[in-house]
Amino acid sequence: MSVIEVQNLTKDYGHGRGIFDVSFHVTKGETLGFLGPNGAGKSTTMRHLMGFSKPQSGKARICGLECAKNYYRILENVGYLPGEVALPEGLTGRQFIRMMQGLRGNKNDKRVNYLLDKFRMNPEGNVKRMSIGEKRKLAVVTAFMNDPEILLLDEPTSGLDPVMQEIFIDFIRDEKKNGKTILLSSHIFSEVEAVCDRIAIIKDGKLITIVDAADVKHGLKNIFTLTFAEKEDYCGFIRCGLDLERKNPEMLSCSVSVNDEDTNRFIAEASKYNIKSFEEHSVSLEEYFMHFYKNDKTFGGVKK
Amino acid sequence: MISLPLLKQTIKSNWVIWSAMTAVMTVLCVQFSAMEMTQSLLFTIFYGMMTTILPGIYVLVTANKLLASQVDRGSMAYVLSTPIKRSAVAVTQTVFMVISLVLMFAIQTAAHLTVNAVDPLSLETMAYNALSGELTGAMIIKINLSALTVCIALAAVCFMFSGIFNTAKYTIGLSGVFVGESILANMLAMFGSLGVDGLDNFKYATICSFYDYQSVLTETNDWLVKMIFPIGIAVIAFAIGSIVFKKKDLPL
Repeated sequence: MSVIEVQNLTKDYGHGRGIFDVSFHVTKGETLGFLGPNGAGKSTTMRHLMGFSKPQSGKARICGLECAKNYYRILENVGYLPGEVALPEGLTGRQFIRMMQGLRGNKNDKRVNYLLDKFRMNPEGNVKRMSIGEKRKLAVVTAFMNDPEILLLDEPTSGLDPVMQEIFIDFIRDEKKNGKTILLSSHIFSEVEAVCDRIAIIKDGKLITIVDAADVKHGLKNIFTLTFAEKEDYCGFIRCGLDLERKNPEMLSCSVSVNDEDTNRFIAEASKYNIKSFEEHSVSLEEYFMHFYKNDKTFGGVKK
Repeated sequence: MISLPLLKQTIKSNWVIWSAMTAVMTVLCVQFSAMEMTQSLLFTIFYGMMTTILPGIYVLVTANKLLASQVDRGSMAYVLSTPIKRSAVAVTQTVFMVISLVLMFAIQTAAHLTVNAVDPLSLETMAYNALSGELTGAMIIKINLSALTVCIALAAVCFMFSGIFNTAKYTIGLSGVFVGESILANMLAMFGSLGVDGLDNFKYATICSFYDYQSVLTETNDWLVKMIFPIGIAVIAFAIGSIVFKKKDLPL
């Protein structure tokens, strides 16, 4: 069952900004990573799921309810971590937590204390004088204090130090074990790779692909570098029709990109020639991601 | 319809400027009505200008903070990430705006009533107008009621801008122009009524003309009829601000 559902969502802000025909869904208990560079449309999509914006066309639904209309009902069960850490003015950390408890109509101090302890957060003192990381932690505590079933996290670890990032990722793993449905937007590969079941990649407001994290860990595609003993072997192999990433005639070596289904054909071809060395590299999510970004990048209309 | 936790937060972030304006207004009122040297200026200076200028500054700053500035800074995202309707946010902030002004005038009125009870002001000492008798408590209440409705209308228009715009600079800009123009035109109109030729026409250019303390002093009922207009403006402007805030896309 889809808990979060985005269907052909379009919002054009002009000048090529916005999101165009974005569709994805997150099933119950699943964690979907939403990966894209700054300005790709991650926050815009979140904004629609939170009911802050109304779609131009398409739909954004949570638990079958239209977000733009029923946001106040949906939000009873949603924990949202905004991308911005602008907390309300003139409050201490403790007062901010109290205010959020009041607005949520839930006073579970045990859970709050557990979270404060977990993230080593001292909520006393004026919010104005807190560092970005401390403000972020405060936002994390208020997003999770209600123990919501659905989590919308917009770049949750930005501003946290590496130790805190680690704690946060562990915490998300625990939440996952408790069956939470999570949409996590980020531009940091490692955290997406670490916690997500599936990964949606968005660029310039368009959803490029959705991949299974298991596939990414296994290697989305494999690259083999072969070095041949003789010039004839090299010349013979490069004509075999496999997808060559790189050729180096002086070294008599070449790199081949092989999809899983082409593995047998590749081995059959390679075995025909006298090979001096054979190396395999898996493509990490980062390389896979970069591959999408580097393609068709235009600067002022000039294709690079 | 009203969110008490939000109201609490709103009070916390606005009580300083409210207290400051209320204190200044009350002290000035006591000073003008108690000191013999300034008593003759109580109406021209204090009720003529201060009762619109001081609340005017207060509503200009506060209305912006109630909605637009929180959207601009992004802190509205925290409020709206809870199961609270946007309409409840707008109504809560409207209620705060109106009640804070009512309390501001109530405190100031109470102070003036106290001073006047000890030493009732003789209206014959006024600088202009052939008036007679003493200033009564009923008059003071009526005058302040008239001023209050105009200030609520000023607040409502500022609130409307705050609901319409997502940036503090447009809200402050347009509210500032509106409040500034209203107060300035009111002052010019007052000089007109004191005998400067031609400036009298400025009374048509300001919402403050609906505040008519002179009719209270001369014991006519013009002030009561004129109250209808600021109340109407306030209702419409608060409604527009709230509806736009409810319907618009928020850049949070």
